Amino acid sequence: MTIEGPKLSKNRSRFRAVALFSSIALLLSGCSAELQRGFLPDASGVTNHTDRIIGLWTTSWIVLLAVGVVSWGLMAWALIVYRRRNGQTGLPSQLRYNLPIETLFTVIPLILVVGFFAFTARDMTAIEAEVENPDVHIEVIAKQWSWDFNYVDDNVFDSGIQAQFTGKEENIFETLPTLYLPVGKSIHIELNSRDVIHSFWVIDFLYKKDMFPGHTNNMYFTPLKEGTYVGKCAELCGEYHSMMLFNVKVVSQSEYDSRMGALATQGNVGQLSTEYDRNQNLPGGDPTIRG
Amino acid sequence: MATITPTRTNPSTFKPKRSKGEIIVDWLTTTDHKKIGYLYLITSFLYFLLGGVMALVIRAQLALPGLEIVATKEQYNQLFTMHGTIMLLMFATPLFAGFANVLMPVQIGAPDVAFPRLNAIAYWFFSFGSLIAVSGFFTPQGAASFGWFAYAPLSNTTFSPGIGGDLWVFGLALSGFGTILGGVNFITTIITMRAPGMTMWRMPIFTWNTLVTSILIIMAFPPLAAALFALGADRQFGAHIFDPQNGGAMLWQHLFWFFGHPEVYIIALPFFGIVSEIFPVFSRKPIFGYKTLVYATIAIAALSMTVWAHHMYVTGQVLLPFFAFTTMLIAVPTGVKIFNWIGTLWRGSITFETPMLWSLGFLVSFVFGGLTGVILASPALDFMLSDSYFVVAHFHYVVFGTVVFAMFAGFYFWWPKFTGKMLNERLGKIHFWILFVGFHTTFLVQHWLGVLGMPRRYATYLPEDGFTEMNLISTAGAALLALSMIPFLFNVWITARKGKMVELKDPWGYGRSLEWATESPIPRHNFHSIPRIRSESPAFDLNYPEYAAPEAKASYSKEGIS
Repeated sequence: MTIEGPKLSKNRSRFRAVALFSSIALLLSGCSAELQRGFLPDASGVTNHTDRIIGLWTTSWIVLLAVGVVSWGLMAWALIVYRRRNGQTGLPSQLRYNLPIETLFTVIPLILVVGFFAFTARDMTAIEAEVENPDVHIEVIAKQWSWDFNYVDDNVFDSGIQAQFTGKEENIFETLPTLYLPVGKSIHIELNSRDVIHSFWVIDFLYKKDMFPGHTNNMYFTPLKEGTYVGKCAELCGEYHSMMLFNVKVVSQSEYDSRMGALATQGNVGQLSTEYDRNQNLPGGDPTIRG
Repeated sequence: MATITPTRTNPSTFKPKRSKGEIIVDWLTTTDHKKIGYLYLITSFLYFLLGGVMALVIRAQLALPGLEIVATKEQYNQLFTMHGTIMLLMFATPLFAGFANVLMPVQIGAPDVAFPRLNAIAYWFFSFGSLIAVSGFFTPQGAASFGWFAYAPLSNTTFSPGIGGDLWVFGLALSGFGTILGGVNFITTIITMRAPGMTMWRMPIFTWNTLVTSILIIMAFPPLAAALFALGADRQFGAHIFDPQNGGAMLWQHLFWFFGHPEVYIIALPFFGIVSEIFPVFSRKPIFGYKTLVYATIAIAALSMTVWAHHMYVTGQVLLPFFAFTTMLIAVPTGVKIFNWIGTLWRGSITFETPMLWSLGFLVSFVFGGLTGVILASPALDFMLSDSYFVVAHFHYVVFGTVVFAMFAGFYFWWPKFTGKMLNERLGKIHFWILFVGFHTTFLVQHWLGVLGMPRRYATYLPEDGFTEMNLISTAGAALLALSMIPFLFNVWITARKGKMVELKDPWGYGRSLEWATESPIPRHNFHSIPRIRSESPAFDLNYPEYAAPEAKASYSKEGIS
């Protein structure tokens, strides 16, 4: 019941294993800052949630890549060591099952999964936690294909239009609608939509949430680092989906206040609402039943 | 040691010469499960090429920021909508029906499926339904452009007024009925038409996976049909089923993903089945842990019905812990499968013929898709990654890695069963390596794109985004991927023209399931005689009685055959 024929010398296979491991070690030793945050954007300390997310991301990847390396390693080993060599005849032992090993590779993944779930549950609860008395209230209303920002506490608003982009413009970011946020203040954003589903994604906040017509979503966070951050719509919303861009400027309280003042002097006083929701144009739609 | 005498196909099989018209009528009116299977395979492969061409245009558009390869962004939206629709519902799903139709009845020793005419009508429903959905391109406003998951309210007539949307809705509904009827047929065939001795625990893994997939189909496709008709009523008759005012936007997502997630396993499980047939043959060992593999398949199918809302974490309206936990649990039976496949290779005597090469290509790629799947199962991480290119990369690793690699594995493996001729090995290996390199070049880099913030379904991006280099690499990979079709198509052509008939029942030499115990190509009623079935490897037991499974060996020696 065994294979007859030449065998791979032990030394040769050992040499191969050494070569494999040393090349992996070489790869890992080039540990840049980029690699240490798992190639995420440099979002450390941008909001009160980002460090938590980066931590979960990198530890998850370390465990998962270890699982991957074991799997790929076993495959490579099997393919090299158990390949049929020239001149071999006969068949290998016809092993059909091995209950202890099968139990092992059922139970170990199960333990890993339960652990991963525990950390996930801890972090998502923290990220999704409602803040009781936030310092700043903001309402963002999405529309095809831009954003309206209501600064609720200051009773001013700002209305955006979609990016005008043909590939030749410079400094396109200066033309985009910009949401101002005061640094270090806890923020509650209400997310609404006036037509289809959109998604509010600030890349460096490592977070997004969908915006529904007829339903309000919420997000709570504290921006910790001043700067300008890129925002994009992340849910397909029609033809100019890719032009639905915006900026978020996290600024000092005084800069924030002067922006509020500027909006008020522009005449942007009051609040925009969803009353022009285009869903009331649905066939047979009744505008009177909508807010 | 018993000597094996290759069994030759009877060359005197009478074949009357037929006119072209007769051949066409024969194919159009056939109820033979193999011919219907070939119709499925050919049609779905044509859709694969069509969807692939669309992907090339999409990649060309994204090669550099601000390109206008497609005239309008609306057309770009049509392209990725139809690319997704075609690849999922006109390529991968009917490809399963194709392989299952040709092979499953042979693997259980049946002369045909339980309902041959239902089988034919299922194919024609799929065929015409798909033509209807794709025909949107010939209407003035073009094909559907609301994404293959057609989220309400974007998919209603206020936001997507074109007739292309209606053709998409009703075409898919028709095609979906074909899929449901096919599933019913497969289940009935497997339950009622197994040959004597073919107990459930002796069915090949591919047949098991066909059974489980078909059960998933009859659970997942009816909700899709209902949802599509409701959307059709919204579009055509002003019904307000998916009106956001009454929660319709979420209702659609629940209905769609209640179909959409099991659909992922509908197109994965049969292809897991294909590689499970191939690893043992070229490792010269039985599948490792047959029963655990079957239980893992059943567990995956059961769990897949409970995870649909992991596509909806960012809606803020689903129970995150429940769907996160069930989703993560799927990693366990999937991991079991991977280790069972490795166990099959372990201490085998492995050769690298083309079917094996493709199966290994699947295994290596799929593991990575599985890892990123675990990452995405965590809502805390999905909030950042959802709807980004990370997701695009993930599902191409999972779906392309499974369906396309296993499809070619199956083509090379069973080509002698289909046509009586072996595809050229050298061309097959060239085909494999170009596709393998092209695939990883295209999709690996997209993980980084997504992590850095490139959203999916964007027609273009800004130079300042810093996505340009990686998009160029991805586009170059896609071109290589497309190039790999040339050696394959040439291979098919040259084999048909010049290939020699193999005239062996089992040209690979170590085949295990029943299709290797009948002639190549498979005769009209599948078998002239069926060997004794005493294990899950009846053909192998017949050819290598001294290596047969203990229960099979016992029965052979009892009957004085050694």
